[in-house]
Amino acid sequence: MTLIHNRSLDDVAETAPTLGGNAVTRAFSGGSIGRLIGMLALIAILGFLTIYPLAMLLYGSLHSTPPGLAGEFNLNGYRAIMTTQNFLVLVNTVGISLAKTVPSLTIAVFLAWIIARTDTPFRGTLEVLITLPFFIPPILTAMAWGMLGNPQVGVINLVWRSISGSQDPLVNVYSYGGVVWHMCQYSIPFLFLFTVDAFRAMDPSLEESSRMCGASRWTTFRKITLLMMLPVLTSSFMLSFIRGIESFESPLFFGLPAGIKVITTDIYEAINHRATPDYQYATALSFAIMGLMFLLVIWQWALLRGKSFQTVTGKGFRPNVMELGPWRWVTFGFCVLFFVITVVLPVGQLLLGSFFRFFGFYTYEMLTLEHYRAVFSNSEFWRALRNTMMLGLLGATATMALGAVVAYVSVRTRWRGRSLIDGMAWLPWMMPGMVLGVGFLWAFAMLPGPIPIYGTVWALLLAYLALGTPVAVRVMTGAYHQLSYDLEECSRVHGANWFQTMWRIMVALAWPAFAVGWVLTFFGIMRELSASILLYSVGSETLAVVLLKLWANGNAEQVSVIGLMMMLLVILFRWVQLRFIKARISKL
Amino acid sequence: MTSNKSMTAATIRQWSRRLFLTAAGGIAIATAVWQPVQAQDAEWEKVVEAGKKEGTLVLYTALVGQPSTKKIAKAFTEEYGISVEVLEARASEIRERVRVEQAAGRFAADVMFTSEGQTRLYDAEDKSIDPLPVTPNSQKIKPQFKLQVPMASVMTIPYGIMINTGLVKPADEPKSWKDLADPKWQGKILADDPRAIGAGYLWFFSTHDRIGEDYLRKVAGQKLVFTRDQRESQRRTARGEYSIYMPVILTDMSDLKGLPVKFIVPEEGVGYVLYGNVLLKKAPHPNAAKLYLDFLQGPTAQKIYASLGYGPVIDGVTEGLPADIKAISEAKLYGTSDSRRQNEMLGKAKEIFK
Repeated sequence: MTLIHNRSLDDVAETAPTLGGNAVTRAFSGGSIGRLIGMLALIAILGFLTIYPLAMLLYGSLHSTPPGLAGEFNLNGYRAIMTTQNFLVLVNTVGISLAKTVPSLTIAVFLAWIIARTDTPFRGTLEVLITLPFFIPPILTAMAWGMLGNPQVGVINLVWRSISGSQDPLVNVYSYGGVVWHMCQYSIPFLFLFTVDAFRAMDPSLEESSRMCGASRWTTFRKITLLMMLPVLTSSFMLSFIRGIESFESPLFFGLPAGIKVITTDIYEAINHRATPDYQYATALSFAIMGLMFLLVIWQWALLRGKSFQTVTGKGFRPNVMELGPWRWVTFGFCVLFFVITVVLPVGQLLLGSFFRFFGFYTYEMLTLEHYRAVFSNSEFWRALRNTMMLGLLGATATMALGAVVAYVSVRTRWRGRSLIDGMAWLPWMMPGMVLGVGFLWAFAMLPGPIPIYGTVWALLLAYLALGTPVAVRVMTGAYHQLSYDLEECSRVHGANWFQTMWRIMVALAWPAFAVGWVLTFFGIMRELSASILLYSVGSETLAVVLLKLWANGNAEQVSVIGLMMMLLVILFRWVQLRFIKARISKL
Repeated sequence: MTSNKSMTAATIRQWSRRLFLTAAGGIAIATAVWQPVQAQDAEWEKVVEAGKKEGTLVLYTALVGQPSTKKIAKAFTEEYGISVEVLEARASEIRERVRVEQAAGRFAADVMFTSEGQTRLYDAEDKSIDPLPVTPNSQKIKPQFKLQVPMASVMTIPYGIMINTGLVKPADEPKSWKDLADPKWQGKILADDPRAIGAGYLWFFSTHDRIGEDYLRKVAGQKLVFTRDQRESQRRTARGEYSIYMPVILTDMSDLKGLPVKFIVPEEGVGYVLYGNVLLKKAPHPNAAKLYLDFLQGPTAQKIYASLGYGPVIDGVTEGLPADIKAISEAKLYGTSDSRRQNEMLGKAKEIFK
């Protein structure tokens, strides 16, 4: 293990300057009562957002009937999940998740390194383009890959057969490989977004020192670059691995025809495909998985405890851009290949199909703009778009603000209870979305009557806040781990109050992570269905609900039109983020 | 002659008396019947007036994304001036919402559009619905749709077989459910998963009871490929991945016009799901809800459903429809599922289709 000899947090606590100012300032800057109030406020907020719905689900797992129905407390749900069949399904699920997380992380780190640390041509444009698949509803890319890679008439196989003369298909997406591939389509851009800014925040002097001491480029990359990114890498690995365990669309779409079962399909069946929804079984199974996942979090805490990963110090630096010479065209080629396979092929299908009456039937007489007209003249779509944009803007901003505060307290203070809030912020990520949605429904509906949350837009907003917090906290934790404590101290010693320090140091230096987290959260809200469908009320439909209605009615082409519009929005957001905000905030 | 005359006069008197008595009796019966009818009409008029005053109806529907919902809501608003707020979600989601809302004392919805099987669960387990009111149109539906459970039947969704016309020659087309067991279709059938509640399970249930388990075991030997996305599966079959998709929602036929597919009504008849409206407990707009229940069993709504291929629950609304739509709308109903045997039959489906 290579450690960087910046000052550790233990030293900082002893020397942190005591500041005056108002109560709020004091709450965050060190006064013991203020600190207590601040911490209690955070615990209360996170408790309401995460513990309360989970407590309702825990009740569901321990009670023979869901909340509101007469029944008795028992452990039948937990007994029912203890079967050999479930164990095999769990092993299968973990295997699939590992099979997608490890290559995804490897490719994502490589792509992030290419974009952030090399002189690969057009890397600014590539940075936006290679993340696009993440923002398309999974059902659309599943449909596109079904058209491309089905063994009978998939485009890839038709081309393969005509070139090779073979009768056997080259690929079959309805297989383990297909499930893993479709999941990778989402996890690679997600992990890339998570890691790329950590590469940018790397002080090249550390790597230069290593090289000066005789280490090879590869050893330096392994022992310095990657190790310094350990908080980001472990966080993103865990987020991706846990999400893989909870993944539902890919196994259902590509796994079911091949007889592949995962935990989430079992949970889905328990809720949707039994005479009476078996919430006790579904919640018990979810809690068992959650328990296993929490072991991972503990592993991460143990791994990072006592080590410092600061790369952004008071000393000025520019991230070193490696000159690759002719090899830059190889890295460029890799990015382009990745872009073509993961973006052009599926998105091309969606774009092409949106101009024809039916996907896959590309004849002149089928050409039409009918789907665009139908979407643009659909008043429900516009209403849902307005609602979703409002919820997205508010929700993403609030989530990132909360995530930033939680991450700050958990990483950069020694407040008692900081591990508690860090753990609480993880919880929503560990519960499958379809179960957590039910938890929100139970929690908000069962609130006392005078608390006007259920049936209002606030229920959606609070659910999104809870759902987005784990990503927000992880993104900001990774960024804060890299900032040296000297910077904060320096600011405060020079007379800046806590808020000025936060704004000038913690926000200005961590803004790229904040912006990436904001985009991830915003589009997470745009796509969220499990909680939305249970919490929306008449007039507060969200885009995901409208997409479900269109999909359920067989309007896949209209869903594609909306998916493409969402993608354009991503390009716009990322462009604004990378060009405009960067320039402004860098001046702070 | 005289005696003949007196006999005739006596006969006439006798008949006159009978006629008088009959007429008097008739009038008395008619009056007796008319008075309650009149009273019922007056009572219904009060419901209409009260419903109009309520002005709004909140409808929850488990039939997601169906354009018919909006069409009918619009027709209802035109008829009574009552606006309809519609909340759509899948069956299990909408059921849990209603259950939790009522448990928490939040009575937000008036009417729910759902299936007969779900209604049985709402009634027996959740206790979330009220008995059905007697409305003018509720008396006119076909006897087979007058149910023991408190659901006002509205329409049936018919399920049949879909083929890709590019892959299946006309002479080879399956004509019945039994034809699917023909070994020539091995590996060529895409099927909705019978091991989970849905269309595939409906097919499993109805053919199990009507044709028998041996038939299902034969079909299991056909190496079916399972799916749970009905609309996408129709497209996959149209694109040539499979020769047959079953069971298909026959009303989707008009949405796929222009594609190389054919929808087949099996000789035995169609599998079906009966849908209808239930009145939710403590509905905030109870009179508007009664009007809506009645309206959906009346000719206006029934004609809308029949025009889309759904099976109506009253007679006389399929005249003038295009032949293909009429064939689906009037298709013989072969079988449906019974939620009381759900766990038993799901277990059997999992055992046969491992």
